[in-house]
Amino acid sequence: MAIGYYFFALIGIFACVTNAEATGTDQPMFTFGGFGSLGVSHSSMRLGDYTLDSTIPKGAGLSEDWSTGNDSRIAGHLAAQFTPKVSAVLQVVSEYNAGNSYQPEVEWANVKYAFTPDAYIRVGRIALPTFLDSDNRDVGYSYVWIHPPIELYRQLAIAHSDGVDAMYRVDIGEVGNTIKAIIYGENTIERATSKSISKDMWGIFDTIEYGPTTTHVGYQKRLSASENLQTGVTGAWVRNSDLSVGVNYDPGNWFAMSEWIQRKSTTNITAMYVSGGYRVKKFTPYLTYSQNSQGSFLPGFPPPSSNSILLANRAQSTVSLGVRWDFMKNTDLKLQYDQVKLSDNSNGFLANVPTNVNLYGTTFHVISAVVDFVF
Amino acid sequence: MKPLEIIRNCLILSLLLAMSMVTASAHADVVVIVSAKSSITLLTAAQTTRIFLGKVDSFPDDSDAFPIDQAEGSAIRDEFYSKVVHKSPSQLAAYWAKVIFTGDGRPPEMLESDMAVRKAVAKNPNAIGYIDKSAVDKSVRVILAP
Repeated sequence: MAIGYYFFALIGIFACVTNAEATGTDQPMFTFGGFGSLGVSHSSMRLGDYTLDSTIPKGAGLSEDWSTGNDSRIAGHLAAQFTPKVSAVLQVVSEYNAGNSYQPEVEWANVKYAFTPDAYIRVGRIALPTFLDSDNRDVGYSYVWIHPPIELYRQLAIAHSDGVDAMYRVDIGEVGNTIKAIIYGENTIERATSKSISKDMWGIFDTIEYGPTTTHVGYQKRLSASENLQTGVTGAWVRNSDLSVGVNYDPGNWFAMSEWIQRKSTTNITAMYVSGGYRVKKFTPYLTYSQNSQGSFLPGFPPPSSNSILLANRAQSTVSLGVRWDFMKNTDLKLQYDQVKLSDNSNGFLANVPTNVNLYGTTFHVISAVVDFVF
Repeated sequence: MKPLEIIRNCLILSLLLAMSMVTASAHADVVVIVSAKSSITLLTAAQTTRIFLGKVDSFPDDSDAFPIDQAEGSAIRDEFYSKVVHKSPSQLAAYWAKVIFTGDGRPPEMLESDMAVRKAVAKNPNAIGYIDKSAVDKSVRVILAP
């Protein structure tokens, strides 16, 4: 959190130093905007909760008949352009979280120094560009689905890091190439009974854009440990390395995209999805298949506890069929049906499944509706 | 209805739909312009797209590019983005939602009419805009007629 204070201190300094200086364009120094989603979901599985994220304490299924927890949020975004080279971003998001509340949290707070329009360095709380849509995954209005495919995006253990990153963009003819590097980062995720701590994070991410095609490759490493909030005991530090690859083809009337990740820590897990859609006037029907593998334990670690075996066995797959309807300016309505199949030895990502209940091999259904907006 | 009749009706309906689309797109003639003082003479649709989506901030010859948009909801804007960028108004709004809320950029400045865009482009050698073909005069140069 210390970095947050540095950020506000920096903003103050820059604001004073640059107050009188013209920014070079007619655009205002501060711009405020925001986005939000209002969603409900219902699950046919009554023995576990269908939750999007490990920080969400309860959801549709066991705890609630209809739940608003997965897809409802509101966020404010303040951008400041102090000089042509110095800018800052503050984004605060209120969504259902581990504290069983919608307590707002600072998602991003960083100051950017642009050496040229094609090269910058940022300090503060920064989004991790693991996937094609990981830094805009909260902005439902910016993509077609109700939410990004759960099997892949649950592998995005960390959405942001506190630290330093840099970007360099170079164009070769009509090919745009953007390289981002996390130079240093750390992160803490709070859950109901535990805390995940990450440090010594670094990563490199390359995005190539050519006409309607975008490809994205990322590699990141960090050390992680889990702190038990009841006992206060922190477990051993584990080295994590994630390799992610994605491709998106969007010529205008239709799109197809696919992403894949391999995560290595004490286990090796892969996850992927393929998705496609077709745009008919204001309607975009889409179809997605996504899956994640069971974690296989890697050699060289102490024998896993029963809890880590449970956490590693979360293989499931989903077929999603949905439609996005752009019925109003800056507003959309989406409906989605998911058929979720749990693997033969897994309760998947279901939360709050009572002890000794096994749902191995079960198939269940989820329906969701959401309204997304930007302002 | 017999299956053959259903197929025939479907064919007629799709033909009518196709015809209505052709007439709709023949409505206005958008052209992309720079100042007559600019050294740019020709741009491809792909190069224009990258400038208006903020993916580059310079022309192919490395001089600064300053794109100027027309008002949201205007017919000329919708035509430009559909013909050149291949995005509908809502696709474009979704694109900018992603860019703005990731802190990666801002949409181009907006002016209210063909006349205002022509005037602004004429006096700035780095500006690029789009207007109806009928509004072109000697102060600007057409570099793309999609």
